[in-house]
Amino acid sequence: MPSSGKNTLSGLIVGQAMRHQVIQLIQDTTIANSINALIKYKINALLTVDPAGKPIGVLSKTDIMGAYYAGLPIDSPLEDIMSKPPLFCHPENALENALQIMRSKGIYRLYVTDPENNHVVGALAYPDIVGLLYQFCHDCEYSHFRQKAKLKTDSIKRFSVKEIMTNEVEAVFKDDSLLQVMEELSAYRFGAILIKDREDIPCGVISKTDLVLAYKHGVDSEALAETVMSSPVQSCGADELLEDAIKKMIFSDVHRLFVHQSKPDELVGVFSLSDAARIHSGSCHACISSRIKLET
Amino acid sequence: MSSEFHTLTSETPVNQAVKLFKQAKKEEGRKIFGMMVIDAEERLVGMISMYDILLFMRPKHTHIWGMMDDIDIAGMVDMACKKTKSVLVGDIMTPEVITITPQTHILMILDIMIKKHVRRLPVLENEKIAGIVYISDLFNSLLDRFTD
Repeated sequence: MPSSGKNTLSGLIVGQAMRHQVIQLIQDTTIANSINALIKYKINALLTVDPAGKPIGVLSKTDIMGAYYAGLPIDSPLEDIMSKPPLFCHPENALENALQIMRSKGIYRLYVTDPENNHVVGALAYPDIVGLLYQFCHDCEYSHFRQKAKLKTDSIKRFSVKEIMTNEVEAVFKDDSLLQVMEELSAYRFGAILIKDREDIPCGVISKTDLVLAYKHGVDSEALAETVMSSPVQSCGADELLEDAIKKMIFSDVHRLFVHQSKPDELVGVFSLSDAARIHSGSCHACISSRIKLET
Repeated sequence: MSSEFHTLTSETPVNQAVKLFKQAKKEEGRKIFGMMVIDAEERLVGMISMYDILLFMRPKHTHIWGMMDDIDIAGMVDMACKKTKSVLVGDIMTPEVITITPQTHILMILDIMIKKHVRRLPVLENEKIAGIVYISDLFNSLLDRFTD
């Protein structure tokens, strides 16, 4: 009998999903130098510590975007813009509880400490959880990837992108300024925004990473959006299976995909790794009914 | 110390830097794993190593793949290479660099390299770059003393 209160994450602990490499910088490091660490290690945030190594804050790309918007000198110390305090959990905490804390506090990552000595041993963010789910999906006997290989008739109802995507797509024009881009990004709490031309045709995307790099390269915040956008727009079809879309994101190193209907220019939604983590399951209803074996 | 050395500027795109590593290797006749980064006034502003570049090329979610065999490796390498065009040496270099002077004692250099896990140290004289000491130079120099 499938038990209703269970999902793929039940029984899993933080230690199974967390990342072990935690990048830490001392509070007086300049914003410019912090950007180097974020870019090189491809992380969205880093832990700030005092000279004794005690964690005192978190510096995210969002904080850096705020500094760029405010016109702060890039040589300012990161302690001026970091968010505090950092929030923690332990490796043996249930993954579901950790997700619950992240959701209720509106934050994107928790740092993991060893309860015995309080040393930081890891970090947990939404993509780590998606990664774990993806592994389970991939190895599951009901996996869409395996089904394809066996050419069996597929009787499992699988999630498609349109079921979990966000239905509105905010966009700015390519001749809007970076300041406007940043205003939109912070108003909607998005990691990236679509850029359109005046004919409403999507032509690129600006992510917080692009903005952080623009700040570092000394680009004027009044510059036009098109000068820093990345193109083309990475998108997937609304009817594509969630599993395939997650795969696309994981392997192309993007955090989100825009979603199109039949025509690639007609974007109807956006879908991020964080959305995928929030649905609390792998990518098909086989997981929800707990048929998947998690004792790995 | 080697007084023959190659430098990069922070404005050099990473893909260009890879080419310059190759070129420097040819010209110096030794393997180059790291180069000094200078500003317009030729002052040292950082170091970039092959490791920094590889770190940046590494896709984010490698830990997930482990056993997966349905991955398009060639496509991913292309994707990573594409990114190296818009990112500059100054974005991924190590900006806080330990330096020595021509007077620094060889055992002191050895101590710094071991404690700080670095394999090359820029030599500065009056804030100007005078050369670079590689761990292999150090080893060879010590070896010579032992065999003398």
